[in-house]
Amino acid sequence: MDSAHPSRGVADRLTGVFWSRPKLLTALLIAPPLLWLGVVYVGSLAALLLQSFYSIDEFSGVVVPEFTLKTYAELLRPSNFDVIVRTVTMAAAVTLASVAVAFPIAFFAARYARGRWKALFYLGVMLPLWSSYLVKVYAWKLILAKEGIVTWAAEGIGAGNVLGAVLAIPVIGGNSLSTSYIGTFLVFVYVWLPYMILPMQAALERVPGSLLEASADLGAGGWRTFRSVILPLALPGIIAGSIFTFSLTLGDYIIPQIIGSSRFFIGQAVYSLQGTAGNIPLAAAFAVVPIVIMLIYLAVARKMGAFDAL
Amino acid sequence: MTAAVEFHNVSRHFGTVRAVDRVDLAIDEGSFFAMLGPSGSGKTTCLRLISGFEKPTTGSIRIFGEDMGDVPPNRRHVNTVFQDYALFPHMNVRDNVAYGLMVKGVERRTRHERAEELLSLVKLDGFGERKPAQLSGGQRQRVALARALVNEPRVLLLDEPLGALDLKLREAMQDELKALQRRLGITFVFVTHDQGEALSMADRVAVFNDGRIAQVGTPSDVYDRPATRFVADFVGSSNVLPPDLTRSFGGPRLWASLRPESIRFTGASDPKAKGRVTALRYLGSGTRVALETGGQEIAVLVPAGAPVPDIGEVSGLTWDPAALHLMEDA
Amino acid sequence: MHSEARPPLALTLGAVLGLLFLHLPILLIFLYAFTTEDRSYQFPPPDLTTKWFGVAWNRADIWPPLYLSLRVAAISSGLALVLGTLCAAAMARARFFGRDTISLLVVLPIALPGIITGMSLRSAFAIADIPFSTWTIVLGHATFCVVIVYNNAVARFRRLGASMLEASADLGANSFQTFRHVILPNLGSALLAGGMLAFALSFDEVIVTTFTAGQQSTLPIWMLNELVRPRQRPVTNVVAIVVFSATFLPILAAYYLTRSGEETAGGGK
Repeated sequence: MDSAHPSRGVADRLTGVFWSRPKLLTALLIAPPLLWLGVVYVGSLAALLLQSFYSIDEFSGVVVPEFTLKTYAELLRPSNFDVIVRTVTMAAAVTLASVAVAFPIAFFAARYARGRWKALFYLGVMLPLWSSYLVKVYAWKLILAKEGIVTWAAEGIGAGNVLGAVLAIPVIGGNSLSTSYIGTFLVFVYVWLPYMILPMQAALERVPGSLLEASADLGAGGWRTFRSVILPLALPGIIAGSIFTFSLTLGDYIIPQIIGSSRFFIGQAVYSLQGTAGNIPLAAAFAVVPIVIMLIYLAVARKMGAFDAL
Repeated sequence: MTAAVEFHNVSRHFGTVRAVDRVDLAIDEGSFFAMLGPSGSGKTTCLRLISGFEKPTTGSIRIFGEDMGDVPPNRRHVNTVFQDYALFPHMNVRDNVAYGLMVKGVERRTRHERAEELLSLVKLDGFGERKPAQLSGGQRQRVALARALVNEPRVLLLDEPLGALDLKLREAMQDELKALQRRLGITFVFVTHDQGEALSMADRVAVFNDGRIAQVGTPSDVYDRPATRFVADFVGSSNVLPPDLTRSFGGPRLWASLRPESIRFTGASDPKAKGRVTALRYLGSGTRVALETGGQEIAVLVPAGAPVPDIGEVSGLTWDPAALHLMEDA
Repeated sequence: MHSEARPPLALTLGAVLGLLFLHLPILLIFLYAFTTEDRSYQFPPPDLTTKWFGVAWNRADIWPPLYLSLRVAAISSGLALVLGTLCAAAMARARFFGRDTISLLVVLPIALPGIITGMSLRSAFAIADIPFSTWTIVLGHATFCVVIVYNNAVARFRRLGASMLEASADLGANSFQTFRHVILPNLGSALLAGGMLAFALSFDEVIVTTFTAGQQSTLPIWMLNELVRPRQRPVTNVVAIVVFSATFLPILAAYYLTRSGEETAGGGK
């Protein structure tokens, strides 16, 4: 009597080969995605680095493919360095504001929302996260325009002069909200907010309810419970969210281009340098800046133990 | 007669861990064979070596005399009832059972008829249209059984088949599995950590410890004549006596086991041993008396109706010399 | 923050206002598509009209970008489906050397700002002298779409468990039969959800695309140009509604497809 079925063809024979060499199948599966990401993505990143060490011939405008640190040195020129400082300041402000606005939503969704409400909150955050970026930015162009809804509402309630006073603040003010840093800031917060809410909610959901009760039982008031129990426990989520809000702000160039003053952010500098100016090496060097800043940010976050609880 | 399954010096290492360590084993055709042992003892790995989900690091496995070194699981005449049943959630019960026939290319009518026959064998007539999620744990287990039998395997492997069931259902299924095995006459190999289950169902039992087989034998072999300390400890509730105690009990200076039910209280002036009663546990069918003797606790089982000593009392003990069973120190 | 089920009023207020902040602005897009004023963003609109839908339909400069966007999104999400599923399958099979590196590599294109992905590709095209085409756009889109499919598939593979695949082999199925009869049916909805999310992401993408498109115009790039140099503003709103729907509907569908699982689609963007 037989104790094994006969092999029925190529499929069975291949199954036998995969069985006797399980690593072969794993290798075959991983090869296409690995090749794609390795060649297209890592290859491009390498090209970016390479370009950033090239320079441009100032007279002919042609890229000189020779190793130099000259291009990086140009980043330190005041006009370029200002761009970096401006972008990092904006990223920090946006991150802090996102934390403040996201917290009530995340806390409510994690602790109080149940059943239908939970699903509603989830969709309520997920849909804005995924819906068209450009449409969201456009919506704010409509809101913040000089003749738009904000001005109309402010005048409607007799607060037109308040708006005027806000816009008169030096540096962050401007001709209208849509051409001021305040506008840029508002739109950044709006667009990146879901990226803060989701990890924050996930972190808060891991906090056992009994811990909050214990704190209250020990006589800690609401604010104390918040500061000494909830906040430390939510911190991993806040850090995770801040990685998104910070890095996305660093790299964006559409929002400040459409809503903001004419002064450049890093993204705009990269875009215009590679395009009209044709200075790809300097554009590449500028693009390396967010990478370096994010690497430092991640290293600090790791040192603070932000990833232990992730 | 060739054995249904043979292990020749089989080892399976995972990194530095020797999950199975130089095992030799022969499972007779048509037997109900149990692999018994604590978790991590290598019994499940042995089962997976038979089905082909693991390959031996060294050694060879034969099924009905044929070497399985080059035979992948899908071509082995062996089927498995998985511990978590592993039913396909997207198929109804009938398609689950007929799966083995479908992949063989059996046409739809025939395989559905055969599936219904098997569902009837496991007493699930009329359940064919349901999805696995709509079944109870016991019913899922029966579906898993029917599905594994559809290809008429020559060896059926069962991985902790009753582990997920409650006590009452488990006892009923023990009888049913045993009856099914007799009726089909195929070899059943099942893995369990429950000694009661192994002893009551199997014709032969292999007791695993640390990747090795400590003892193979009939249930009464392993229960009454454990080969090692480990077997005596793990199978049942015997008193395990260290060498010094064995000697003071009148035996050689070796490890020994002495069953609680073999010991009697005696009023004789020169008992084989004396002990002070430290605890009593009423079991219904008798009373289990714990005594302290020579710095060691031993248990005596007093049948219902016989007199029971009081706590603190010092009693004489005696037993049939043949009841003192000597063992290896392992 | 006590244990009572009723949340503090301030918290409820903060949460509700926060959600409104996230949703109300979008409504304006719809309103402005009907305004009669096409030279400014005047609020409230002086009057309402539906003529802009007809105008948009007849504007010849909208159709080619729409076709290009659809083509790029279809090809990119198709590629991402294949690559993401293969990657998830390999990761589900075994713990192997370099696993963490690979999962980092998959996430990186979406974790790093789009400008880096875009500028990197731009640098590579410059060095390798590759001319811009539909395929240069696809190269970028497929790269950041892989992670979307991967996240969806890997969660489902985890739920599928090893024993289901072993059961299939045990019953006589070869690897291909197991793929067709067990893996694919169980992965199907997750892949569909992942594919739709990838489509939505690609259809809407603008930052990477501006670096990889050259002179070509996708629908988001068309919109961007209209935002910088507006003409017939309500027409832009009509297009914005189309773009919004093309991303909104797949997301909603993906949510309902994967709702039953613990891992809901979209968490990974």
